[in-house]
Formats: sequence, C-alpha cells, structure tokens
Amino acid sequence: MTGTDALEPARPKNAARAGRRVRGTATLVVGCVLAGAIALLALVSLFWLPFPADDTSGGRLTGPGEGHLLGTDKLGRDLFTQVMTGSRIAVEAGLGSVLIAAVIGVTLGVLAAFAQGWLDDTLSAFLDILIAFPTLLLAMLIVAARSATLGSAVLAIGLAQSAVVARLARILVKRVLAQDYITAARTSGTSWPRTVLGHVLPNIWPTLVVNLALQFGLAVLAEAGLSYLGLGAPPPNASWGRMLQEAQATFTTAPAGALAPGILLVLLVIGVNLIADGLRDTLDPATRRRRT
Amino acid sequence: MNIKKTSLYATASAAALALTLTACSGSGSGGSASGGSWDKNATVNIGSLYEPQNLDNTAGGGQGVTEALNGNVYEGLFKLTDDGKVDKLLATDHKVSADGLTYTFTLRDGVKFHSGKQLTSDDVKYSLEKVIADDSQSARKSNLEVIKDIATPDAHTVKVTLSQRSISFVYNLSYVWIINSQAQNLKTTEDGTGPYRLDKWTRGSALSLNRFAGYWGDAARNQKAVFHYYKDATALNNALLTNAVDVVTSEQSPDSLDQFKNNQNYKVNDGNSTTKLLLAFNDKAKPFTDVRVRQAVSAAIDDKKLLESVWGGYGKLIGSMVPPTDPWYEDLTEVNAHDPARAKKLLAEAGYAKGFDFTLDTPNYDPHPTAATFIKSELAKVGITVTINTITPDEWYTKVYKNHDFTATLQEHVNDRDLVWYGNPDFYWGYDNKQVTQWVRQAEEAGSAAEQTELLKKVNRKTAEDAASDWLYLYPQIVVADSKLSGYPLNGLNSQFYAYDIKKKG
Repeated sequence: MTGTDALEPARPKNAARAGRRVRGTATLVVGCVLAGAIALLALVSLFWLPFPADDTSGGRLTGPGEGHLLGTDKLGRDLFTQVMTGSRIAVEAGLGSVLIAAVIGVTLGVLAAFAQGWLDDTLSAFLDILIAFPTLLLAMLIVAARSATLGSAVLAIGLAQSAVVARLARILVKRVLAQDYITAARTSGTSWPRTVLGHVLPNIWPTLVVNLALQFGLAVLAEAGLSYLGLGAPPPNASWGRMLQEAQATFTTAPAGALAPGILLVLLVIGVNLIADGLRDTLDPATRRRRT
Repeated sequence: MNIKKTSLYATASAAALALTLTACSGSGSGGSASGGSWDKNATVNIGSLYEPQNLDNTAGGGQGVTEALNGNVYEGLFKLTDDGKVDKLLATDHKVSADGLTYTFTLRDGVKFHSGKQLTSDDVKYSLEKVIADDSQSARKSNLEVIKDIATPDAHTVKVTLSQRSISFVYNLSYVWIINSQAQNLKTTEDGTGPYRLDKWTRGSALSLNRFAGYWGDAARNQKAVFHYYKDATALNNALLTNAVDVVTSEQSPDSLDQFKNNQNYKVNDGNSTTKLLLAFNDKAKPFTDVRVRQAVSAAIDDKKLLESVWGGYGKLIGSMVPPTDPWYEDLTEVNAHDPARAKKLLAEAGYAKGFDFTLDTPNYDPHPTAATFIKSELAKVGITVTINTITPDEWYTKVYKNHDFTATLQEHVNDRDLVWYGNPDFYWGYDNKQVTQWVRQAEEAGSAAEQTELLKKVNRKTAEDAASDWLYLYPQIVVADSKLSGYPLNGLNSQFYAYDIKKKG
C-alpha cells in the first residue's frame, strides 16, 4: 500500500483523505452530541427523577403540560420519568450486549484464526449457524430457561452478536497473521500471546471498534424489540420497547406515550451509527499513518 | 341496562313483524325498499380478534369457535340467551324424575342437518358422548361427567340418567352442540342444525357462513355472515372505520372508542361480560394461608383506580367472583373495600407489621402487566414488596394451573357461573373451606333453582369475606357497530355471538 502511494501524485489523494477526515470528525461530533445527550439523561436518572418511578398520582393519560413535561400514562405515571429510566435501560442494554459480544467474539475469532484444518472449518461453521439463528428465538430460549429480565435479554443479544463479531475478528486476524511483521516478530522469539496482544489486536481494533459501535445501535433496537414482546425487562421497568407496546392502543388519543420513547430510540441509534461512521473515517489505518 | 336491551329487542321484533307482513302482501318483490326496512340478502361482516384454532369445540378450538359457530352453525338442546336465560332449542320438552336423576328430552320435529339428514335421538347420544369422551378437551367435560347412561327409546326421545343430582344439567346442555353422528372431519368442516351452514374458512383471514335454506325455525335475517379475523385491535378498528367490517364483537381498549362515539355512523354499546380479572392468591402458600393477609392485600389495592386506568369509564367493580348476569349475584363491593389503614392494621395483626415480599406471576399480555405494575405500586404503600415475574400463557398453564407452583398470580376468568370452583380444594388457587365445599355440592344437588341460588349466595358471601382471591374488576363488553345494523348481541356471555338476528339497512 505505502509503496503505491509513493509512486502516485500525493496531493489529490491527501486532500481526499483530509476531506474524509474532516467529514468524519463532523459526523463524529453530531453523533456524540445525539448519543451523549441520551447518555446524560441516563446518567441523571441514576441520581434524580422528576417523580418517583411508581408514583401513580397523575391523572389518566393527561397530555404534555404543567407538572408533567410529557404527560402521564394510563396508570397516571409521569412519562418523562419513564423515558429517563428507559434511556438508562437502553444504554445498559447496549453496553452490556456489546461487552459480551466483544469478549466472546474476539476470543472466539482469534482462536478460530489460529485453528487449522477441521477445527477451523468446525468453528466457522458453528459461527455461521449462530449467525443464521434468529436473535429472537435465542432470546425466547434463554428467557424460558431463566426468566424475563433485562439480564436475559442482554445475554441473548450479546450471544447473538458475538457470532458476528467473531467472524469479523477471525478474518481480520487471519489477514494480519499473513503479514511479514508477524513472521518477523515470531522469528525474533516473541511468544504467541505477546504477538497477539502487541501486534495483532492493535492492528485490528479500529475496524472492530467501528463494528462494535454499530452493534451497540443494533443491541438497543433488539432490546426494545424484545421488551415490546414482553421478553425484556419486566414491568414496572420502563424500557422504551415496553412503553411503545403499552402506548400502542392509546396512540390516537395520547400520542406522547409512543412518540417520546420512539423518537429517543431513533436519536440514540442514529447517534451511535454516526459515531461508528465518524470512527471509521478518522480511524482509517491509512489516514492514521499519514497523519503521524 | 336491562331496559335498554329490552327496548332494543322490542323494536327489532316489531320491525321483523312489519317485514313479514309486507313480504306476505307484496308477493316476491325482494327485500330492500325505503327508510327503515332492511335487506334480507345482506352480508354482515363481523370483525374479531379470535380466530378458531379448528372448528371442533371438543378438540381445543378455542373461544373463536364458540364465537363463530355456537348458535349460528351448531345448536344445542337448549340455548343460553344474550341476557343469560336458558331457553329450549332442539328440545321441545324435558321431564325430570322425582329423584332428579333421570331427564327425558323430547326432540323437535322436522330438524335437518346441513347434510340433509333428519335429527334423531342417536345424534344427541353421539354428541353427548363426544363431550365426555376421554380425548375431549371441552371445558364443560367435568360438569357433564355426572352422566351415567344415555338411552334412546325412540327417534324423538332421549333419556339421560345421572349418577347424582345436577341442577345445572340443563344449563350445561346449552354448551353441547348436537352434531350429525355420521359427520367426519369436524375440525375443518361441520354438520350442524343451525340457521347458517359453513361456506368457507380461509385460515388467517375469514370464516364465512351462508343462510341454510332448510332451517327448521325462522330463517336468518341476513344471507351471509362473515367473520374477519385481525391480529391486533388497531387493525380491527381501522377495518370498522373503512367499512371492511360492520361490527366488532368486543373492543379491548377504551381509547380507540372516541373515534366511534362522536360519529353518528357508529353505535358504541356497553354490555355485560362475564370476564373477571383476578389477583389469585395461592391460599395454600405462605403468607396467603392467613385470611388476614389476603384481606389486607385486597383492601390495600384501589380497584376503582385500576379499572379507571385500564378501561377509562367502562367496566364494573365486583366484590366477588359473581358477575351481575349470574343468578346468585349480590353486590359485595363493600366487603374488603379499599382501605389502606385497615390493610396495615390487618397486616400487623397477622404478624407482618413490616410487610413482606412475594412474587407475582404475571401473564405477558395485556392487561396483566399494567395491573401488576399498579398492584406493585399500591402494595408498596402498605410495606409489601412485589416482584413481577412475567410468564407466557403456556408457562402459566403448567406452572400455576397444573403444578400450583406459585404464590400469587394474575388471570382473567371468562366463564359465567364459575363461582363453584371455590368448592374444589384441588383447584389451582387452593381455597379449602369444608363448609363452602359442602354448600357447592348441596347447591348442585338442589331440588330447585331457588334452593341452588340460596346456597350459592352463601358461598359468594363467604368467599368474598375470606378474600379467597382478590377480584379486581369485571370487564366491559363493548360492541361497536355500524348504525345501519341492529339485532346484534350485546353481552359477551360465554363469548358467543349470535349473528342470525342481525339486520342491515339496505
């Protein structure tokens, strides 16, 4: 790569890269603002809520107005309080799932990359099957085995996503292992664990991080979907998915109950997707090398 | 309520009479004409959320099969009318022996099955045996297991001998469809005696019925009744708004009703259902073995507010298992009424001054999660901590209903006259009171309906005072119909929906 770069006229390529980086930074900033606002909401909900979570003293489905910023739900609970709690659950679900996906996925991916022959085939086949397995079905199995809690939902989403991460990690690691500097490191006597930590992971993490950011958005959506179906956090936890489900019947008369969690869900997912896009542009290994 | 219903029926029959007269005088000019008249050949489109699983009510067809076929395609010896009375249908007469053990039924003359065969006593015997057969999944199976012997002295007479007296026997017969004994494939086809015959059942979308020309009684007031099935209430309401259906059998949320209430093209009817939402304690599990704890929980929950939350201004409060349409109804809402101070006092007396924790097994579909959330918040005020465990209907059936492995649960009970289950100590809620069990048995063996009613009123009061369960509220039965329609049933008794009296203006 670097060799061809040197032969070509440097200017336009550099300009294009710089442009991509500037655009990348812009997307990154917008993404951070959107996702950050919701993360802030989640953080605040840990210390302060407008109303106690189980306060049913508001009227039935009062519209947005004095006292209740977004109005109340059927039981008279404050919607803004619920939306705040929901943002915490969404962020928890996203982080939890991505953490599980990252730990299991990267470990499996690295192992699969080192595996040879039938073991390699078996592992990749296993990952392909896991990817083909619907997240929903997996979630239902886990919920049946444990019970419907946020933990079960996160575990199911995390496991399903770990297959995607593992497959990506396997390909990335395989590609890095074929590089000359790995051979050089090995011949100079570096042990395999040190090679992986010192050379392989640093070279694959930019691509992985971008993918994990995308998985975060997907995990938030998946948790909302599971909660909508009653397989996520049990009531009275105000997960956005559950709020949507509860507000469905009253959408024509009290739209705030569905609009508020719906819009926040969209903003959070767009936010993290923009962050992923921005990261991809700014973390591009080629760009990074040029910069340093 | 009753006044409204009777007057509606009165106008309906007056209109029917008027039409018969005009039909007689103006020979063969075909139904539709001016103003108030109705179209004899109309198609009535009925919207419902309950598609049958199959067409056999002894093979787990579900409530949808009752809704679509009971009274429309199949008939019993007796029928349960929309206001809860039991009328003769295929039986014209019945005699009970002095000891109350032998019932002799005389069958109606000239009744033909849709296949053309005449109804005989053999068909009645076959139909009764089908309900009590080993593989029958009928909800009424246990009620009819008192049948010891069925004899058919001649083609028009059926003699049933019971092993013990059963005052509800005739009432229970209103649930037994009389089916042609030679019929096959009853899960997908039918052979009944009703005013309609099955035209076509398209799974997942619609089931249509056609007027049966050879019907023994008054012909159906419309040519075709089509049940259209929807997966969710919003789609169903949209179908009504766009005239894809003329009537919705039961609305499941009050919030979509405004669009029909303020529109003269629709009529919103508020009838009586028999569906009760229960917070059922496991009366054999601590701490609910203590009657004071059950009373305390009942008194701590503001049922009125819950009903208002879930159903807006609709529905009724009940103080016991008995809905107003059951003969032994008494208003017991004052027993264990909402009183948090009394709840705290009762808890202290029972040794739970600091409250306690329990897990509430909650079915994962509406309204249970909403009710559970509300109960959790209400009980927190008297120091009781509720953990909500959401479960699927299947899990509920095995964990709660079969294995009794629960502390408390939420469930809707749809049947009428189901107070008697408190007389069965092995039922899932484990209420075990010798006196109540005896009263229920005596009531079933009573010589007269008055005696039965008297005894069940005692059961009603005793179970209410004991807070055997907490009866949160009675569901409303809301039927919304196009204002061109009349004659449709208003009460959701046993989830049946007679379509044959429905008239549609031309």
